[in-house]
Amino acid sequence: MKVFKFILTLTVVSLLTACVGGHPPVGADKSADRGTDGKHLNQLQAGIWVDPNGCDHWIIDDGVEGYLSPRLDRYGKPVCSGIAPPTVATGNFKRGSKVPDLL
Amino acid sequence: MIGFRALGRISEIFLTAFLAFGMTLAAERAMAQSEQRTVVGERYIPTIWIDPDGCEHWVMDDGAEGYMSPHLRRDGTPVCRKLNLCGVVNTDQLFATDSARVGSAGKQRLRAFFQSANAVSFSIIGHTDNVASDEYNMRLSQRRAEAVAQIAQDSGVRVSSMRGYGERNPTASNATPEGRAQNRRVEIMCWR
Repeated sequence: MKVFKFILTLTVVSLLTACVGGHPPVGADKSADRGTDGKHLNQLQAGIWVDPNGCDHWIIDDGVEGYLSPRLDRYGKPVCSGIAPPTVATGNFKRGSKVPDLL
Repeated sequence: MIGFRALGRISEIFLTAFLAFGMTLAAERAMAQSEQRTVVGERYIPTIWIDPDGCEHWVMDDGAEGYMSPHLRRDGTPVCRKLNLCGVVNTDQLFATDSARVGSAGKQRLRAFFQSANAVSFSIIGHTDNVASDEYNMRLSQRRAEAVAQIAQDSGVRVSSMRGYGERNPTASNATPEGRAQNRRVEIMCWR
């Protein structure tokens, strides 16, 4: 039983560390995705998520990390393009990552 | 040894606060009195992600978490690499002075433009030069944007936003006739 518990703990711990790619802690520079899915963050692939008010946001599902940021026109007003109904996400926003999305 | 390590840790997380840009002299002087404020924090250096429209966002990856926020100037306008404009109509070609009525030739041109732009929707934004009062120009730019938006809707496309900025967002100097002509415009943004 003790051995089973030990193995279970070991598995959980190694799974958890795998989530952060099994690499050393991230320093001040947060500009890259490290480990298995390593790349500079300017290569992210975005889709559009439409909020309940009908306005667009860039949505990126980068494997473990998720990003969301408003789509603004050059004057800073929200873009509510009508590309999809409210609360719908559209586009290839899961394309940029090699890490499968299990959830 | 432990004491030494702890010291190193403290110096790492205690950062000196920066004075904000664009402060008034009085505010700066007031700040100078309480100058070296100690902030407990951790440094998060972002990078830039450019969205498909060409506008910048701050982005950070903290191992498992990701963070993103639009890159805005202090006045709230986004920082964009390319201007996402798919059409600028010089209003001299479309409207008579002080008028917001589009003639049939102008209507036809706009109709063809809207139908071939292949966009989900359009934002239509009117601008003027700085001749006449600000209030008058705000109204004129609004009326002209409305006229163009009406043509868009009549040609079967979707208008997602329509507004007028009067003389408040010039694209060129109002000091020269050429600059003023460039400022008299209706901008059309295509959202794809």
